[in-house]
Amino acid sequence: MNHEKRTPLIRLAKRDGMEGWKVWCIRFGSIVFALLLGALVMGLVGANPLTAYGTILSGALGKKSALRQTVKIAVPLLGCALAIAPCFKMRFWNIGAEGQITAGAVAASYFALFWANRLPSPVLLVVMGAAGAIAGGIWALIPAFFKAKWNTNETLFTLMMNYIIIGVVRWLQGGPWEGRKGSQIIPQFDSAACLPRVLGVHCGWIIVLVLVVFMHIYMNHTKHGYEIAVIGDSVNTARYAGMNVGRVMMRTMFLSGAISGIVGFIVASGANNTLYDGVAGGVGFTSITVAWLSQLNAFAMVAISMLLAVLSKGAETLQTRMAVPTSISDIITGILLFCMLGCEFFINYKLIFRKNTHKEAAKS
Amino acid sequence: MKKFLAMLLSLVMVLSLAACGGGSGEETTPPADSGTSQPNDGQDSGAPAAKTVKVGLICIGDENDQGYTYNFIRGKEAATEALDAKGISVEWVVKWNIGEDSGCEDANIELADDGCDLIINNSFGFEPFMLKVAPDYPEIEFIACTNQASWGDSLDNTHNAFANIYEGRYLAGIVAGMKLQQMIDDGEITADQAVIGYVGAFSFAEVISGFTSYFLGARSVCPSVTMKVQFVGSWSDATEEANAASALADMGCVMISQHSDNTTPATTAQSKGVFHTGYNNDMISVAPEASLIGTRINWAPYFEYAIEAVANGESFDQDWCHGMDMNAVVMTDLNEAIAAPGTAEKLEEVEAKLRSGELQVFDTSTFTVNNGETLTNAFALDTDGDFTADSEEAVFDGAFHESYFQSAPYFAISIDGIEWLNSAF
Repeated sequence: MNHEKRTPLIRLAKRDGMEGWKVWCIRFGSIVFALLLGALVMGLVGANPLTAYGTILSGALGKKSALRQTVKIAVPLLGCALAIAPCFKMRFWNIGAEGQITAGAVAASYFALFWANRLPSPVLLVVMGAAGAIAGGIWALIPAFFKAKWNTNETLFTLMMNYIIIGVVRWLQGGPWEGRKGSQIIPQFDSAACLPRVLGVHCGWIIVLVLVVFMHIYMNHTKHGYEIAVIGDSVNTARYAGMNVGRVMMRTMFLSGAISGIVGFIVASGANNTLYDGVAGGVGFTSITVAWLSQLNAFAMVAISMLLAVLSKGAETLQTRMAVPTSISDIITGILLFCMLGCEFFINYKLIFRKNTHKEAAKS
Repeated sequence: MKKFLAMLLSLVMVLSLAACGGGSGEETTPPADSGTSQPNDGQDSGAPAAKTVKVGLICIGDENDQGYTYNFIRGKEAATEALDAKGISVEWVVKWNIGEDSGCEDANIELADDGCDLIINNSFGFEPFMLKVAPDYPEIEFIACTNQASWGDSLDNTHNAFANIYEGRYLAGIVAGMKLQQMIDDGEITADQAVIGYVGAFSFAEVISGFTSYFLGARSVCPSVTMKVQFVGSWSDATEEANAASALADMGCVMISQHSDNTTPATTAQSKGVFHTGYNNDMISVAPEASLIGTRINWAPYFEYAIEAVANGESFDQDWCHGMDMNAVVMTDLNEAIAAPGTAEKLEEVEAKLRSGELQVFDTSTFTVNNGETLTNAFALDTDGDFTADSEEAVFDGAFHESYFQSAPYFAISIDGIEWLNSAF
């Protein structure tokens, strides 16, 4: 009896590795399970789940204009997921991408607002992009410096940095950069400071696709990428191998912040054509999910960010056509992400249930 | 355990199937059908075939705010009813909680692609994003409520609309002033203790115009009144609004009014034992011992006008602004239990004068600027886009003409008697 009490009903054990097909079966199963749960939610609000899923797909991909909007949503998600991937690989929990995007957008906006009539458009855009990268990089470098020097907690530090820069934007919106007095709105950029469109979407999508290739090579085929991987596995091993851990941390965070800063530039210049305090709009956090779901694989991020963009754009159409509240589609997105991330648990661990008591007794 | 899991799975499946069934059952009555069938029941069945207009409405909040967006929804519902009687059925598609960013552009595209004939943007900050979409859809009419670009942009399908809310503010001011004068006459306060505290969102022309007209209304019946204005730096921040109202009451203000979205200034006024007049909504229910009256824009006349024009294929004003003349500004119920005696009669009298044009709210003989100077000139329009008015003299015939050259308010002058406690916003 005592023995039985001590054995929990369910125990966890690490799996040693599973065949590839099984892993994909579990992942696929989790998506199906999430869609079924989502159907249940839609049913509860009185929408036909089949029609609703159809509406999400057609609303996000069915028309040229819809596809363009979907891509526009996916671009910052993808860019930002690429930015945080090296940090997470290093087990440096950078949750300050939101602030790094905003910092980049602020720097880019400065040139958009005050240099538009002094520089030709292509030069201006390059300057804006570079300024965004540097500002985002510096914003990320600060917590990395403190972590390397005094081992401060990077999670809290990067999070706090978000609020500071968003406060700065609020001040700019109501103060020095404000357009019409009291409106709290920074004027729209001069057309010279707006990213040109390629195939109907601002050309930020080309920039992030280039970044995908860059990041893949950087992470897998360079010395820097190797160092990041080693630090992620074990800081002590890295030290033993003679790596300067603090320097690698700062370098990686600067790169991460710089890419986030470029995303900020793309969003401000390409999508909004202005700066406001919601320029990052939660992308810095959602992209963490994108990065994890794609297991830090740069090419998988393209697919995952598109999936999230389809859900988000489709949700808007769902609301327009079927009067389903957008919060319902937020719930469905949440269920999907939860199941997809949760299934990784079952891939890495197995559950062991307590055997029947008489069997246990017989054994002992 | 396996059995349990299997049961759970099958339960989920059964439930989702049931949900499918329920959903498809409701599918059989698309809203469009019920819309088109209604006009046939109307009295003019001999009229030509009923017209259906599909109207998109993009809202910054949702109707639960009980303030700004709720007021639009009231207008939408009243206009739908009025148009129905004229044989025009309106099919609405409403987008809730849209931000003032490229999401607004997407919402406009989405509604345009969904076949709307008219798209209404309800917030000031939506306009720049609407203007990116409007050129691509010349056959669709776009409206940006409360903003001001349409008179100057070169597009034929963009429109602005506002209401002369300063008329309603002036009347609310009269209610407040009469209450203050009654308190002075009863000896509850001295003449120089008649101080109004005003909770403003930002030092934005619309807000300045609003509190100035309110003050002038109060002073027309209570000559010793003065006013303090506290800006909260947000259109809608319930806590900050309450804090501002509370601070104003502590500074000796015995009357609170507001240009912000929440009812917390009203409830704070009640808990501080002072009086209150409201905006956007009737606040008597939340503060029965404090709230005297409120004023709000009634969007129904404009919606009716614009949608009817679209239904008939006619063009309509690109810059529309009316007030009490078209019922576009209305007062909420007067709280007779606490208002000064004779208030209702006075309101009627002044309202009639406003309607006839006999009384000008911004009559330059009733106020001074810069410690005693009379206002002689002020520009109304900004033509070069630097956000400073540089054209069209607004002061003529002895009054500042508000909302005369464009619908959005442009009175942004600080007058004597009103103290700005902060102008950081």
